Amino acid sequence: MKKTIVIFAVGALVLAGLAAWMLEGRVAGDGWEIATTGLAFVLVGFAAALGLTRLRHRRHGEPAEDELSKRIMTRATSLAYYVSLYMWLFVMSIGDKVALPARSLVGTGIAGMAVVFLFCWLGVRFFGTKNV
Amino acid sequence: MSNRIRELRAGAGLSQQELALRVGVRRETIVFLEKGKYNPSLRLAHDIAKVFGLPIEEVFRFDDGAGR
Repeated sequence: MKKTIVIFAVGALVLAGLAAWMLEGRVAGDGWEIATTGLAFVLVGFAAALGLTRLRHRRHGEPAEDELSKRIMTRATSLAYYVSLYMWLFVMSIGDKVALPARSLVGTGIAGMAVVFLFCWLGVRFFGTKNV
Repeated sequence: MSNRIRELRAGAGLSQQELALRVGVRRETIVFLEKGKYNPSLRLAHDIAKVFGLPIEEVFRFDDGAGR
């Protein structure tokens, strides 16, 4: 139950941060910022879906996580790390060519890592994970 | 590795949910096992075989050389 609370708490914090950022009028409204804000909402949605899945399993009397869900998470994490290395290489290679401050580039890279993890998680869930 | 979980479960009149609850995993794990998308730990394989009252090797089949 602790992990579920942490998932929802982090999601709520990110949402609150985004709301405060938008209310303060710091959003310039250009395409890049709208895209990264949208990305943040997608990631919060993913976290919320994970949290709700855990709650649903508990309601059915099943464990919130079992050996398969743990293995999916481990496999997705290692795969995402591997893919992220190439993503950062790509980010570094386009760094000089795009007119973005380094801070925005790093922020986008971090958000990109989260998206890479999301796709890896979905991929491992779809194709399964076999060790033999 | 292949298994006979679906066949044995049907024979025992158990739903995926019931089998999952008996061995302490999510129903989704049973679905993955039956589809051959996941190979269980030795502990889970033992628990599943125990539910059916069979030795592990009669529930799970290891294909020689597969995955090596």
